[in-house]
Amino acid sequence: MQPSMRRPLHSCGRRVSSLPQASSDWFTAGQTTIEERLALEPNTNRARNVILLNADGNGVATNYALRLFAGQQAGGLGDDHVLPHETFPHMALVKTYTVNGQTPDSAPTASAMLTGVKSKNTMINVSEEVAVSDCANLPGNELTTLTQIADEMGKSVGVISTARLTHATPAAAYAVTVNRNWEDDSAVPEDCTAQVDIAQQLLMGMESGLIDLAMGGGRRHFVPAGTTSEEGNEGSRTDGRNLIEEMEALGAQYVWNDETFSDLSDLGNAPIIGLFEDSHMMYEHDRTGEPSLAEMTAAAITALSTNEEGYFLSIEGGRVDHANHAGNLHRVLTDGVAFAEAVQMAIDMTDDSETLIIVTADHEHAIAMNGYCGRGSDITGLCMGINNEGVENTGEPNLASDGKPYTVVGYLNGAGSVLIEQEDGTYSGERPEVTNEDAMDPDYLQQALVPMSSETHSGADVAAYAHGPYAHLLGGTIEQNVIFHVMHHAMTAE
Amino acid sequence: MQKLTRRSLLSLMPAAPLALTLPGRLHAQDAPIKLRDLYNRDMSFSDIALANEGARVTIAGFMAPPLKAESDFFVLTKMPMAVCPFCEPGTPWPDDILAVYTKRIVNVVPFNVPLETTGVLELGEYIDPELGFYSEVRLTDATYGRA
Repeated sequence: MQPSMRRPLHSCGRRVSSLPQASSDWFTAGQTTIEERLALEPNTNRARNVILLNADGNGVATNYALRLFAGQQAGGLGDDHVLPHETFPHMALVKTYTVNGQTPDSAPTASAMLTGVKSKNTMINVSEEVAVSDCANLPGNELTTLTQIADEMGKSVGVISTARLTHATPAAAYAVTVNRNWEDDSAVPEDCTAQVDIAQQLLMGMESGLIDLAMGGGRRHFVPAGTTSEEGNEGSRTDGRNLIEEMEALGAQYVWNDETFSDLSDLGNAPIIGLFEDSHMMYEHDRTGEPSLAEMTAAAITALSTNEEGYFLSIEGGRVDHANHAGNLHRVLTDGVAFAEAVQMAIDMTDDSETLIIVTADHEHAIAMNGYCGRGSDITGLCMGINNEGVENTGEPNLASDGKPYTVVGYLNGAGSVLIEQEDGTYSGERPEVTNEDAMDPDYLQQALVPMSSETHSGADVAAYAHGPYAHLLGGTIEQNVIFHVMHHAMTAE
Repeated sequence: MQKLTRRSLLSLMPAAPLALTLPGRLHAQDAPIKLRDLYNRDMSFSDIALANEGARVTIAGFMAPPLKAESDFFVLTKMPMAVCPFCEPGTPWPDDILAVYTKRIVNVVPFNVPLETTGVLELGEYIDPELGFYSEVRLTDATYGRA
């Protein structure tokens, strides 16, 4: 530009209203977002209540797929949908690696969030000094949990999961174990005297007053072998004890299906134990005869709210993870929607002036998205072409170099591998042809690369979203154990 | 291909059982029955299952890793039976499976290869005297092949 043609420089920049794009809806929405963030004021009330919602395996990529699925189910294109937790003003990216795992499992991740320190894979609420399954070295290495601190403050404590209550995430609310698989006494080595099995620790938690409400699956771990539960399956305990009956003897209300759940007469009269399946509760897609995660959330908040000192409530959508392991995106996302409905239930039933809600995941999976897909491509379906003359996709699937269409979402490994074991033990194959209808079938497994019987977790980041007291302490990229410190600060702030 | 739903399949069904109205074995129907279509949501038998009891039908699914070598038995699952170390120590069977008793010794097919299995549909509780395997629905005298 010639010097004579230079315009005067304005140190304060142009007024946005003078920009040619200023009348665009995108532009005005962006301005509104800035105004909302400028108006944000930190909430420095002490948190009377803390709710930690964890969708197991719902990392950033899985949550992206969930956003599109929920939006498309609502009739939109999906991308612009806002999940309940995505309305929260504060969030952070969370690093989920563990002391010995670049890729974590759900035991040390739950421990990190409830104890404030990272530990080793497979163990729950145990110091990193101890080796996995090293029962003898457990004494002195047990970690104190946020639930214990809450209990000491006079708060009630509840734990809900669609997985077994003895599974890693819910167990972290009440158990200390050098091996997450020791869910009942049949799995604990005979020479281990420093701890009891996880199910028995839930009984002990109820007996001591630590746990006031627990709802989920896993009934078989509470019932002795040789006896059958309400649903006709055999228990797996070998010590002959029926922990459900022992809980009832403590005064617990026991519910085991949707009918008995709806008959819960006095939600303020803890303890309450709900065991709705012998193993995990059903996937949301298949659910029958069991309460939803949102229904359990509502019951728990109603029950725990009767304590004037407040409560801590751990809620897990446990089967987002399992469906990812299966490589079955449809059930990942239908369980994800059920989780989102539980988040909305928690938001609706609480006051953010006194209740801190954190929504997160414990880890991500080996899930990935293909491109370049046009708007409105079904998230469980094929990647359709981008429409150069409009908004919504062309309706024609993009083709890969092999001339075949491909789905929006794939997995890096798992049962959907296109490499199939041959009779000589080698693996080979090619991508099957797939239609949009095939891919959107609820039982379809997205194509994967590395052949494995179960798709794996990954070490990729998850997000944590928060609103309520001290939610603003979540920000930037944090270690997973920081979540404990946010909750603890909010609960104890002067 | 038109999606085969329970409703659309019922609409294809004349008074006589479907599989008996057509010749042939592997492709006796227009499309194989999906394993999930044998059950209602409450896990009771569907109308399709009840209508085809005793008939020779073809059902789509996957072969679960066999319980025993050199056997004439395998379990058909609606999805590949992924074994997740963090989901199911002890790995209980899903509710919606199909026990398959084959004509010949089973030639094992990898767990994630789609199959079409044809046999006589039997309903009702049965405990395998040798394996102790409990089933509520079975295909007997069955053959199978890759879909």
